[in-house]
Amino acid sequence: MKRPLASVVALLASAMLVTTTLAQTQKPGLKPIPRTADGKPDLSGVWVGGGFALLFGDAEIEAIRKADEAAGRKPLPPPEPPPYKPDAEKKRQEYLARKGIDDPMARCLLSGVPRITVRPLPFEIIQQPHRVVILYEVHHGMRFIPTDGRPHPDDMEPSYLGDSIGRWDGDTLVVDVVGFNTNTWLVGVGTHHTEKLRVTERYTRDTYDTIVYEATMEDPDVFTKPWKMYATLRLRPNERIREYECIENNEDIQRFEKLLETDFKK
Amino acid sequence: MRTVRAVLFGLLVGTVPLSGHHSFAAEYDGDKPVTVSGVVAKIDWMNPHIYFYVDVKDDKGAVTQWKFEGYPPNMLVRQGWKRDVTMKVGDTVKVFGWRARLNPTQAASRKVTFSNGTELNSGPPAGTGGQ
Repeated sequence: MKRPLASVVALLASAMLVTTTLAQTQKPGLKPIPRTADGKPDLSGVWVGGGFALLFGDAEIEAIRKADEAAGRKPLPPPEPPPYKPDAEKKRQEYLARKGIDDPMARCLLSGVPRITVRPLPFEIIQQPHRVVILYEVHHGMRFIPTDGRPHPDDMEPSYLGDSIGRWDGDTLVVDVVGFNTNTWLVGVGTHHTEKLRVTERYTRDTYDTIVYEATMEDPDVFTKPWKMYATLRLRPNERIREYECIENNEDIQRFEKLLETDFKK
Repeated sequence: MRTVRAVLFGLLVGTVPLSGHHSFAAEYDGDKPVTVSGVVAKIDWMNPHIYFYVDVKDDKGAVTQWKFEGYPPNMLVRQGWKRDVTMKVGDTVKVFGWRARLNPTQAASRKVTFSNGTELNSGPPAGTGGQ
């Protein structure tokens, strides 16, 4: 059963208005946001930023919805389409037509920023006075984000997660990420980029249980303007980071070769 | 419509739709649901997906072996699964999923019903992937 695009968009918009949220001043009476000795909001803990429908049961989804409502959290802005230049958009459409068969993730390659944040597996943030460490369950990803004012190193090699430096803007951790290779998709099928990519992430702990995450992606070679995405990171106090060695038995790669000989695109 | 539901579900808790390890749509056909009942013959409890094999007997007693893909172990344990306990070789199970495009006796599993009536999610909903 297919619905016209307009009704799909309307449905999405109404769902988001009701339920998603943006950073704001916390309501009185709620569990306070923890702070470190230097007064910064403490982001430490195990979080998950995507895949809630996979990870949580219906009862938990409902509890989350009610907690958001009780905290008076405001809707996040709706997702924006990537503002690709015509040639870059053509390339994305080709990836979409191939149903994501070219996805680097399906080959078990490390996801980049911001995609790694919204993969459906938890990550742990460890906040120290001079740096913030993020350990991702997916692909054993790790980021060491200095917050002591140092610049990006001058010997960067292009990499999947790039190089991150952080600073505090009031109660928000702002992370500047550059030095990416081109082996990652930003967020969504076919969202390619060049080595000129710069991502600015903003982490704002707006309630005890949540962080508002904002990523601004800039790439003058493929985008006409900066592209923004938002997500809510949710605290998972009873989770621990487990091992995920993706390549162990990845049969998908061989099947992709065979699929290319068929009419799988129909 | 399935995709729309998945997207809405993701938005309900404040994010974009999620993905498993690969694009579901390339390998499986979300318009071809399938349910089979049979006996578990083998379980490959591995990343990035588990595979389990179910011997399905037809009316005449002929056995066909189905291959089902599921979540990776780290997702299954979060859905309440335990290796060598929840599903064992020899168990009778009913499996719901969607057919593979390549192999007529392979499917992406979504749900397993065990002989004691317990039902557990075993893989992602159709239409997800590629976030």
